[in-house]
Amino acid sequence: MKKLFYILLLVFIMLLRAEAQNPGWIVPDDQKGKICLVKFTPDMVKQGEALYMKNCQSCHGIPTKKNFAAIQPSPGDLSEPKAGTQKDGELFYRITTGKVPMPEFRNILSEDERWSVISFLRTFHKGYVQPDPEKMAASMGKRIRLSMTYDTARKKIMVKAVELTKEGPVAAKGAEIIVFVQRYFGNMQLADPKPTSESGYAGFDWPQDFPGDKTGKVILGARVNDPTGSMQEAIVRDTLAIGLPTNKPALTDTRAMWSTREKAPVWMILTYTLAVIIVWYFIIYIILSVLDMRKIKQVKNT
Amino acid sequence: MDQIINDLSHHIRLNKGFFLWMGFLALAFLACLYAYVQQLRYGLGVAGIRDYISWGLYISNFVFFVASSLIGMLISAVLGLIGLKWVQPITRIAETIAVAFAAVAGLVIVMDMGRPERLAYVFLYARFQSPILWDVTVITTYFVISLLLLFLPMIPDMAVLYKRFGNLPGWLKPVYKVLSLNWTDHPEQNRIIHRSMYILLILIIPAALSIHTVTSWLFALTVRPGWDSTIFGPYFVSGAFVAGSAAVIIAMFFFRKNYKLQDYLTDLHFNNMGKVLVLVAFVYLYFNINEYLVPGYKLKRADAIHLRELMSGHFAITFWLVQVGGLLIPIALMLFRKMRRPLPLTLISVVVLIAAWFKRYLIVVPTLAHPFLPIQHVPDNFRVYTPTLTEIAITLLSFILVLIIITLISKFFPVIPVVETAKEKGLDPLKSNES
Repeated sequence: MKKLFYILLLVFIMLLRAEAQNPGWIVPDDQKGKICLVKFTPDMVKQGEALYMKNCQSCHGIPTKKNFAAIQPSPGDLSEPKAGTQKDGELFYRITTGKVPMPEFRNILSEDERWSVISFLRTFHKGYVQPDPEKMAASMGKRIRLSMTYDTARKKIMVKAVELTKEGPVAAKGAEIIVFVQRYFGNMQLADPKPTSESGYAGFDWPQDFPGDKTGKVILGARVNDPTGSMQEAIVRDTLAIGLPTNKPALTDTRAMWSTREKAPVWMILTYTLAVIIVWYFIIYIILSVLDMRKIKQVKNT
Repeated sequence: MDQIINDLSHHIRLNKGFFLWMGFLALAFLACLYAYVQQLRYGLGVAGIRDYISWGLYISNFVFFVASSLIGMLISAVLGLIGLKWVQPITRIAETIAVAFAAVAGLVIVMDMGRPERLAYVFLYARFQSPILWDVTVITTYFVISLLLLFLPMIPDMAVLYKRFGNLPGWLKPVYKVLSLNWTDHPEQNRIIHRSMYILLILIIPAALSIHTVTSWLFALTVRPGWDSTIFGPYFVSGAFVAGSAAVIIAMFFFRKNYKLQDYLTDLHFNNMGKVLVLVAFVYLYFNINEYLVPGYKLKRADAIHLRELMSGHFAITFWLVQVGGLLIPIALMLFRKMRRPLPLTLISVVVLIAAWFKRYLIVVPTLAHPFLPIQHVPDNFRVYTPTLTEIAITLLSFILVLIIITLISKFFPVIPVVETAKEKGLDPLKSNES
């Protein structure tokens, strides 16, 4: 009896361990309730479809077609109940954070864009009713609007956070702001997050040697970092001409080994052409002179 | 003189054996052609090659063909220009093999193409920077030079046979007449032939070195383990001489027996070819030691995986069979004079040639099976390469083509240069001054 107990205990511990090692993809409870603050519109669905085709379709396939990629863990078809029964907040969290091999879209799609993808997916989920944003809004925390300027004198990027209250806009204090720069793919965070001051401002030192495009333009963004969900996300994007004008020729602009034929290195074209001409000159010369032999008919008797 | 002509030309006729052999080849050709039609219709998916191991049998085979064709240059040009008299009866055999393999090598590439009807794009959109363009260029050039080296010494032969060989089949006569270009042993004609041959023999040396060096660059110009090597050029060239010498010895044995050329292809020729094979095999062994010892000593991570796969992993059996059975043991055996007699030497050459083919497979496939980025989330047949039957049939198709070309050339033209043999013995090929 004692032996059986130990065996059972052992099995139980092993099960626990297995559970601990494979926790699945758990969405924190406080994220599950997150909802979109506007009613899904046909325009949003359309934008969502375009974003889905660009970012999601390579693995998840076209919804209802079941042509998702054959990888492990299986991405699955998102029109199926497995996705359909999830709350908006769960889908949103999963898109935002990702889980290997699914990438995180936190810095790839804006919050609005993520919601439009969800609005597109919801068109496949029968019986789905969007939670009423108006009703929910009250419980969703503060509504923040951001704006961004560059302070030339102090060489700082100033982000202003304004809370929209019933009485009108008020400077938002203590909102944690993240500033980022847009790259080819995803965004680069500029510095550690900073809370806004009493007057609703957060200032970020702008590195003076930061490379911009040909005219020095840099695409900047700022958002409120709010993991607790006590504030509705706010994001602002702006193009400011504050970078160093950088006019590096593209790698394929100059003559190079890796470039197109038209941009082959001169020495390479010359070497190739010369070698071919020299060798084939001799070959053609030989063929012609051998063919000429036919004209020599007389046999010299010696 | 009549004796020589008869000895060297009596096989030029349509006999039962020829029809049987050609019939067999034609049937096999059609069967394998069916496999190629399948590939044309359903795409490269009928072969075992997939995204990761995208070069399988076809490209291994291509490298083998280019390698085998290189022997024409070694025998005719290097040994010939040095002035070794004994190679003279072998030159045409070597050139025939060179022409056949070089001609089909290009087709093997086409067989590996998913959309062969876009072949012209290789030229239309060619980049000067691309080794593929260099490869296409040098192989075409080498093929033309080899064809000329085969054809030029044949001109006097055809003229003599046309005039003096009574048994020349009637339908071949006009061919011989046209191809012999009115050769009459005129000093001016001989001067043209000699000068042309001299230029060609010099030209073919860089051309031949280029074809196999450029073929090796298709691999060595990447950073992948097993290919990323500065000695790949000479490594390939020396390996090519091994494969080619073995092919020539096999052909010599076959022609000697079937065309009754024992008086012309003597034990001396086999003995000497055996020595040539030992020499090039030693050079190849030297490069092999370099190729495996140097990365094996440093054991960079990727190289380590590659070498482990070769020496104790998935490819170990093939690897050791090829290295020990196809290189070390043949070298050891051929050091003995007895082993350089026709029959044993030919048997050794068969083993060497088969090993040479698998060696190309070992160069191409294992590297592809271990890319730098991990292979993940793919079906099993993407991971491990298994050639399909269709693929094997298509590969056989290329061998059958080579055999057909060699058979046709050797059957309708003298295998051993007639006029050169006669002049060697001080005879005037156009007169019947018996001695």
